[in-house]
Amino acid sequence: MAKIGIVTDSNSGITQKQAKELGIYVLPMPFMVNEETFYEDISLSQEEFYERLANGDDVVTSQPSPESVMKLWDNVLEEYDEIVHIPMSSGLSGSCQSAMMLAQDYDGKVQVVNNQRISVTQRQSALDAVKLAKDGKSAEEIKLFLEEDKFNSSIYIMLDTLYYLKKGGRITPAAAALGTLLRLKPVLQIQGDKLDAFAKARTTSQGKTVMINAIKNDMVNRFGGADKNNIWLQIAHSHNEEAASALKNELLEIFPGFDIHTDPLSLSIACHIGPGSLAIACCKKI
Amino acid sequence: MVKTIDAKMLSKMFLAGAKKLEEKKEWINELNVFPVPDGDTGTNMTLTIMSAAKEVSAMEKPDMTALCKAVSSGSLRGARGNSGVILSQLFRGFTKGVRDYEKLDTKILAGAFEKAVETAYKAVMKPKEGTILTVAKGGAQKARELADNGEEDLTVYFEEIIKSADEALARTPDLLPVLKQAGVVDSGGQGLMQVLKGAYEAFLGKEIDFNIPDIKSSSSVTSMNMDVQAQADIKFGYCTEFIIMLSRNFNIKQEMDFKAYLESIGDSIVVVADDDVVKVHVHTNDPGMAIQKALKYGALSNMKIDNMRLEHQEKLFKMAEKQKEEVQPEAAPKKEAGFIAVSAGDGIEEIFKGLGVDYIIEGGQTMNPSTADILDAVEKVNADTVYILPNNKNIVLAAEQAAHMAEDKKIVVIPTKTVPQGITAVINYVPELSVQENTDTMIEEMKTVRTGQVTYAVRDTVIDDKEIKQGDYMGIGDSGILSNGADMLEVTFRMIEDMMDDEKELISIYYGSEVSEETADELREKVEARYPKCDVELQYGGQPIYYYIVSAE
Repeated sequence: MAKIGIVTDSNSGITQKQAKELGIYVLPMPFMVNEETFYEDISLSQEEFYERLANGDDVVTSQPSPESVMKLWDNVLEEYDEIVHIPMSSGLSGSCQSAMMLAQDYDGKVQVVNNQRISVTQRQSALDAVKLAKDGKSAEEIKLFLEEDKFNSSIYIMLDTLYYLKKGGRITPAAAALGTLLRLKPVLQIQGDKLDAFAKARTTSQGKTVMINAIKNDMVNRFGGADKNNIWLQIAHSHNEEAASALKNELLEIFPGFDIHTDPLSLSIACHIGPGSLAIACCKKI
Repeated sequence: MVKTIDAKMLSKMFLAGAKKLEEKKEWINELNVFPVPDGDTGTNMTLTIMSAAKEVSAMEKPDMTALCKAVSSGSLRGARGNSGVILSQLFRGFTKGVRDYEKLDTKILAGAFEKAVETAYKAVMKPKEGTILTVAKGGAQKARELADNGEEDLTVYFEEIIKSADEALARTPDLLPVLKQAGVVDSGGQGLMQVLKGAYEAFLGKEIDFNIPDIKSSSSVTSMNMDVQAQADIKFGYCTEFIIMLSRNFNIKQEMDFKAYLESIGDSIVVVADDDVVKVHVHTNDPGMAIQKALKYGALSNMKIDNMRLEHQEKLFKMAEKQKEEVQPEAAPKKEAGFIAVSAGDGIEEIFKGLGVDYIIEGGQTMNPSTADILDAVEKVNADTVYILPNNKNIVLAAEQAAHMAEDKKIVVIPTKTVPQGITAVINYVPELSVQENTDTMIEEMKTVRTGQVTYAVRDTVIDDKEIKQGDYMGIGDSGILSNGADMLEVTFRMIEDMMDDEKELISIYYGSEVSEETADELREKVEARYPKCDVELQYGGQPIYYYIVSAE
């Protein structure tokens, strides 16, 4: 049986410390702050990042350099026979595309999973991969399995402000649809691909209701039922810890007994939507 | 002894009833419990019945079936306001009971009256006693009693019915405490009495002028024509106004002379002498001559001269533009869902459009759109499902009536009673969810919104144990008057305090056309200081009559 190493990037929200515990590898995403390069969870903490963002510093994401990717793979391959590499959604970044290109030189030993996940749902993919590897699946089998499973996840994010979304300019169709005189809390969705407008709310509690209804709808109509044995529930937030733990309690009342994992949103999403956001996500259990 | 009436007589009676209601409409308007500047029960009922009367008077030789159809469909389409909708339902029920007969006797009529009452009660979700319904029921019960007792003489029959209905009307203050406190009977019931009395007079042979005047039509084509007409009729082109600050004596004699002079050069003359100033208004082709003459009595101030012909052209131009705009949406591709909102004020219109509302029916508290207006709007929105936001409790019924009458589209009325409820409803619409899910969500979320509106009292009255003086500012909440007094800021602030509880996160203030931004800002600052944990948002609403519309959610 081949020994399989699991690699993902820091968008999964998995810290270097957690990675060690799980026995996997996390590629740190690079950030340019005022043209200086930092690495998520290595040289740039969540706190520092939001401080910089609030200062109005110019924060730009970029993809990992080919060199850093190959170096990590080479290291991993010293210990393992094959690699399953799970990058952030190809709809949000070119990292996946680049990784697939680089993998061509590895004779099938590196399988890049294009399953369009991000943040808490990407994390779940990495955990699923660990489980599948333990079950004796090959890297290719794991890749195919995860790609087939890609639409079995859903994320809704309520933003505190439209400011960063507009500033970033990357998500204009969503932003444009929300142009109005009123101060609104937009609710965006990620269905495996891009960040897209979903709904809007006037108040935080309205926004939460919108997200909870949408998640419930997805569980029942897309993922085969709102059952704790069937669904992983997740919460993500950008610099909004208190609201996230309040939301967890609310969710547990509606979905008693569910596994709910909470993570800070990965910084590459946070830099587009700003602080104060709150997200609910779910994945179908494999 | 007259034992039956035919279609000809019934049509005469109907027209006479309509005419009588129209004559009394102002009086009925004044019976409104709330002393807000919107007393329009009389107007709404009149517009409703006139819509049917127009169709009836156009019939040359009415037979019963055709007459019934005209009365029923004419009033259903023309229905405005709650009392208008209920009146149209009374007619619909009544005509169901008589349309299959050529001659009507007391027994048939008793059945028709019962049918009328039954239909009207069904049209209202929560029928309330002490209203037009009670009055109609009082009359119908008497009709049944008389018919069962073998009464055949229609003169006696009608007289007794009217007596009973009048007694029911007199009892309305006992059934609705608000009426008692305000010292009035129910206005809708009084309107119905006028219809019955007018009809009875016609039955007795009183000659009535059956000329039905052209009522205000919602079609813009008609109003265009009227305006072209008006422009051609402008004989004197400049509207001239000024104040003379008298420097010499201005007695009756001089006032008469001055007026006579103005009459020789124009019309629409108003001259009001008041101690040491005279206010002057005249339409003339030569404002200079009016000014020359006035200078003899003193210096002039507050001078204002407008070219009315140009203004008319501008108005016509704007109307043509607007018509063009109105035509364009029809070419829009078909959507799954569309929205119609009823609103008044350019700011609020802008907000609704920004939120994706396809069509705005102008109206609200003072101008309730008719069922036909709403159906016209539905026509203009190219969508499979059209959601209607009435944004006023007096428009909900007409919207629901329109929903029943629309043929090729699914109409969903979200029964929003205020503008902020409408705004919250449309914000919570999610394109990807089903009609049922969206309807449920919108209705659920709309209920979390508390609304308060600030206006002024048009007369002295007592409501909810609050003594209100004419000219007072009043803060009106979802279920009654929350505050009143002479200071607008203070009245508004107290109203907001009354609306708040710990769970509210957002206070939105929409200021009306008569409030300046500075004044509104002052209110915002005061509210922010009082509720530091709440977001406070100030928006220009531009609405008439209501200085402020405030919501807490």
